[in-house]
Amino acid sequence: MRAHRWFTPYLLVVPALALFTFAVLGPVMATGVFSFYEWDGFGVFTPVGFDNYVRAISDPIFRASFVHVAIYIALTIVLEVGAGLFLAGMVTSRPKGTGFFRVAFFIPVMLPLVVVAVVWGFVYNPDFGLINGALEAIGLGSLTNVWLGDTRTALIAVSIVSGWVFAGFFMAIFYAAINQIPSEISEAARIDGASEIQTFWKVKVPMIRNVIEIAILLAVTGGFQSFDLFFVLTNGGPYGATEIPTTYLVKVVFRNQNVGYGSAMAMVMTATVLAMGAVYMWVRKRADVEGGTA
Amino acid sequence: MKRLIGSRAVFFTVMGVLAAIYTLPLMWMVMSSFKTNSEIFSSPLSLPTSIDFSTWVDAWVVGNLGRYVFNSLFVTSSSVLVILVFSALAAYAFSVFDFNGKGILFAMFALGLLMPIQSYFIAQNSLFELLSIKGHRWTLIVPYAAMGIPLAIYLLKVYLDGVPRQLFDAARIDGASDMRMFRVLVLPMLRPGLATVAVFSILATWNEFLLALLYVTNDAYKTIPTGLLAFSSRYVTDYQLLFSALTIVTLPMIAIYVIFHRQVIAGITDGSLK
Repeated sequence: MRAHRWFTPYLLVVPALALFTFAVLGPVMATGVFSFYEWDGFGVFTPVGFDNYVRAISDPIFRASFVHVAIYIALTIVLEVGAGLFLAGMVTSRPKGTGFFRVAFFIPVMLPLVVVAVVWGFVYNPDFGLINGALEAIGLGSLTNVWLGDTRTALIAVSIVSGWVFAGFFMAIFYAAINQIPSEISEAARIDGASEIQTFWKVKVPMIRNVIEIAILLAVTGGFQSFDLFFVLTNGGPYGATEIPTTYLVKVVFRNQNVGYGSAMAMVMTATVLAMGAVYMWVRKRADVEGGTA
Repeated sequence: MKRLIGSRAVFFTVMGVLAAIYTLPLMWMVMSSFKTNSEIFSSPLSLPTSIDFSTWVDAWVVGNLGRYVFNSLFVTSSSVLVILVFSALAAYAFSVFDFNGKGILFAMFALGLLMPIQSYFIAQNSLFELLSIKGHRWTLIVPYAAMGIPLAIYLLKVYLDGVPRQLFDAARIDGASDMRMFRVLVLPMLRPGLATVAVFSILATWNEFLLALLYVTNDAYKTIPTGLLAFSSRYVTDYQLLFSALTIVTLPMIAIYVIFHRQVIAGITDGSLK
């Protein structure tokens, strides 16, 4: 439809567009420009070509941060998406009496990650933490550990907190998706003698495959952009064992005042996130084509 | 019948144990807020000997928690209001009208859906520093509103696209002006969509941390995430006080969530699946 006055649509779009361009789109482009300069945030801009990018891809800390975040993402796919799928399977296996659990498991999603991190910092506390306390109480005192201060356990410890927060989130997503499946389909499976577990794996999971794929995409891209939990729990330590791209980026830009170099790292990260999205679209498209010809 | 009873018992046992383990960290936090520092150290798992709310009051007063809560309420409500108004107007234009440049304008917002915060926060910080936007009570409203707009426009446009076009045609034939059409037709139709966007935006702004950390260093203007973090580094060893602060900040959020859980869960799942 044409607007009554030709300029109405532009007037409607302008407030959103102006704010968005000013605070997001412009800065995206400026970050791209910064990445080709040496700049400390105050002084002169020195053009350096691709030097910042070369430095980024050969920076051992930056490279290690990608490995750490990859491990973290792999763990969270199990602890968030996997656990969420399990919980969704449980709460959809019964027609009634599951509301309490659905509400309870979603609680952590509501809380600021910083608050969650401070609480879990105490849970992992070596002196009075919940975990060491529980281990002592059941006679496994020899297993107590400085969970966040040990290079072997720190990354896993942070991943567990992430799982604790987001398993309920993915449960809610899968729960909604499973409830969209026409009830006749699971009824039919049940009449054919399928057990609840078989119905779940053979009927429900295949039918929500799309949603599971989106969930994995969310876990991958979201995990890659993590910051809050890591910053509060370990801030990259111990000995860099939990340094992820964003914690390192914040140190480079805001502690070392290396704006140009940080911008190049930010661009590499952005390209990585966009590439993940592109891979997802490609996989999706291929699956659709195969599904169409089969 | 027997199998049903069996599976029911198994279900409630497994889920009950899981829920207990799941909520343990939060219950432990609340319990510890009633214990003295030496009790916390000597027997971390014990129940408190008495329930005394005076440390909660202490934490609230000493930590100036009221100030952080107020700042969070102010920043969140303002940001969400801006997001709702700006996005509803833009979604109306994108869904209902044909105009030159529509495709490219919409693509710009779609780009915003894909861009991670890492792609712009460095230059955004420089820009805000240059224009002295940093360090005010209202500072965070600017990036929060801007960041929320793309998803809000997208969701609201999807809602409006579901409205039969004949309704708009009929309103036009009745002589409704562009703005009148927005008030009497678009806004009422958008109500469920606006609720979803509100839930989603409230949570995102209420919990945002990275920009709050970088842009607001004056304690008077800190929001709950950064305020609590400052609190926890100020009273590093006063565990009872810290547990009390965490408890009084989290319990109201959980209470509000439990009351509105249906809308909250629906809003967040709709928003994330786009």
